[in-house]
This record gives sequence, structure tokens and C-alpha cells, in this order.
Amino acid sequence: MSVTKGTPDFGAVTNFEGDAATIALRGRVESGSAFELGAILDAAIDRKPASMVLDASELEYVGPAGLLAVSNAEKRLAVLGITLKIQSPSTLVNRLVGMMELAEVSRLERALPGHGHLGPEQLGERGDLTQRFASSLSSEDLRRLTALPADPDVIDGALRLIVELARISIAGADGVSVSLLRHGVLSTVAASDQTIMAMDADQYSTGQGPCVDASIKGHWFHAESLDTETRWPAFTPQARGLGIKAILSSPLRAFEKPVGALNIYSRTAESFEVKDQESAAVFAQQASVILSDARAGVSDTQMAIRFQEALRSRELITLAKGIIMGREDVDDESAFKVLLRSAHAEGLPLRERAGAIVLSVERPDLRTKGGPDD
Amino acid sequence: MTEDGHDALDVLDAFRQEAGLSHGELWLRYFELGGMSTGFDVEAFLYGVLAPSSHDHDVIAQALNERFAELGGNHPVPYATV
Repeated sequence: MSVTKGTPDFGAVTNFEGDAATIALRGRVESGSAFELGAILDAAIDRKPASMVLDASELEYVGPAGLLAVSNAEKRLAVLGITLKIQSPSTLVNRLVGMMELAEVSRLERALPGHGHLGPEQLGERGDLTQRFASSLSSEDLRRLTALPADPDVIDGALRLIVELARISIAGADGVSVSLLRHGVLSTVAASDQTIMAMDADQYSTGQGPCVDASIKGHWFHAESLDTETRWPAFTPQARGLGIKAILSSPLRAFEKPVGALNIYSRTAESFEVKDQESAAVFAQQASVILSDARAGVSDTQMAIRFQEALRSRELITLAKGIIMGREDVDDESAFKVLLRSAHAEGLPLRERAGAIVLSVERPDLRTKGGPDD
Repeated sequence: MTEDGHDALDVLDAFRQEAGLSHGELWLRYFELGGMSTGFDVEAFLYGVLAPSSHDHDVIAQALNERFAELGGNHPVPYATV
């Protein structure tokens, strides 16, 4: 028996085979359809199923209200001793569920999106490992491991959720947006309303403003009161004209390069307190992880440069370990420990300590006087 | 918490999330410090699916701690042997 409900944007089909319930979801769960989703889940749980699966393969997006509905259903099912399974979630849905920290309790049924269910028997000799892996890895991780290219829609969807969460949870936030550098051009990929869209656009066109500076310089900018702000003379009057009094822009990074900014706007001057700045930093960090996963805004050339940097550090550390191995007659791993201890003693990153050791051998005249003899 | 108790070992991955590093970034930092394991293996260590050698654990801990130091923090990730 099955019951179909829905609107053009959202649909659900509940199917009972005996007492095993499957609810197939389609489309987008925004705040309106979240109520409907909650009712559908409740109706199914009222029938006291022995198991329950949410088929999310056709689900495109779930907002915070929808996630809350799923979370409530999980709690009700837990009372009945049943674990809700979420089947074949898309990368985005999985990301969203994970972001709301539901992943821990959801016991997502792992499957690669678009590949149907991939059971251990299909995984060849890595099956055992992959099966164990699957119990703790999200399908997002599996997607990344299989190196499928990142879908810009997925990134945008996740960033929209961050904008929504930041607006709800940061006191004094009247509007939130995310700006992203794509092919060297800044644009707004998510904004809570049109005024905020316009505010970002004014910054791009004047080349001024906290959002532009945070995106390019990679550190945060806080305009506490635009009435007294002097840093962005071309932009500030336009923002005041739209009723904005305070702006907080936190940088977004992918592979440690600045690629955009999370911008929070307020109609009240000095409305962002220290705790709001901290919350903004947390949201910016979440967004940065998503962008890094997707390698958004980072060109192949930038990746190559970063990789060359890493190789140079690695060579330096290898050299330093070699020197220690020769000096102290120890193996590679013990040499690493010696290097680590001496870096800690000096309060230096490993690379810098390694550099100093290599230099001390190449240029004995620079060696610290009174240091240990060879 | 699952029967095999692996959640208790997810602690390294919790540090990774707190440090705001993606798996790819953390692996690159681990590689930078001389780590020899693949990205796949490092993820398995982070989730506690595979147990890292004490050496691998220390390289990962150092990669995370250097990140925390850059963010102005101390060294919160414990080492296995140092």
C-alpha cells in the first residue's frame, strides 16, 4: 500500500511492505514543506513499523526545519527501538545532515549517489576494509575518495544553508551572504535577501568594502559603525543609504588560499559582540571546509604551487632527519621524535626547526656557540 | 556508539574538524611533515578504522597542532610517544 503526497517542489511516497516502512522523498524540503514532511513521518511512525527507511535518492535539498523533522522522527523511532535509515542521500543532502550533527544518530545507509546500492560483495578485495569504512565514512567521503568532480550546485546549496544558519543564530545579524571568487571574479553565491545582494554588488563594483578585502586579503574585517567608518569611502555611503550600519566579513579559504568571505550585515551600529565574531568564524570555517573539499576557487596552478611548497618542506625535514640519524645513530622514526622534541622546545614549526638544523650543517659558522659538538 | 566501539577513536577526526581542515588539506600537511601513508589510509586513521603506528599518529598530531598554533592556540592533540 502506498500513499503519495506533495507539491511540485516536494513529494513523498510512503510504502509499507508488511511492517517495513519506506518513505521516498523527492525535491526540496524548505520551511513550508518541512511541516508536511513532519506529518508524513509521524503518520508512518504511528503505524508502529518494525523498520523505517527514508529513500533520499530524489531529494535535492533539506533546510534546517526539515532536518529538525527528521531528527524528531529519529527520536520517536528510537523509543520504539528502531534506527531510521537514510538511503542513497545525495552529496548535498548528506552534507546538510552531517552539518546538523545528525549523521551520528542517522546511521546513514551508505551508497554512492547515482550508482545504486554498492554492497560489500561488489567491492572486490578491498571489500572488508571498505565495509568497515562504510560504517564510519559518509558517502560524501566516498565520493571524494572516488574523485568525482565537485558539483557547483552542491557547494551553493551547502553555502545557502550556512547563510541561513548564521542569520538565525547570530544575534544582530539582519542579513548574511557568501561571496566567492570564481575564475578571479567575486560574486555572491548565497544571500539572505535582495538588500544584501545589492550590498555585495556595491562592494564588487567599487572594489571596496569589508567583503572585498576579506575575500582578497584573507583576514577578517569588522566595520563596527559605518557612520564613523573611513576605510571604504566609495562604498560606505551606498551601504548607509540602504540602512546598513555594521558589517562583519570573515574570510573563506580553500587549501589555505583566500577564496571568498562570509558577510554579516546589521542595521544597528556596534551590534556584533565578541561571541558573534566567534560564531561568524565558526561558520566561515565550516564553509571553508566545504570549499576545500570541492577545491572551489583554487586553480590547478595554485594547487601545484601549494604542492611544491609541501614537497620543499618535506625535503627539508627529510634532510634534517638524515642529519640527526647520522649524528645520533638512530633510525628514521627516532630521528623524527628528536626533531619534534627540539621543535617543541624552541616553540617552532617542524619545518623551521628542520631548516635551522640543515643550515647549521651547511654553514657551521652560524651554529650556536656553546652548542653540542658533533 | 556502535558495538565495536570505534566512535571513541574518532577523536583525531574531531580535532581535524575543529582545526577547520578538510581531509585533503590535513593529508597534504601530513605529507609535508614526511608522512608516508596515502590519503585513504590517513582517513582510516582519523576515523579509527585502522590503527596508525605511533609514528604516524605523531605526524598527524603534529600536523594538527601546527594548524592550531597558526590559529593562535596551543598544542591540544596528544602525541603517542613524544
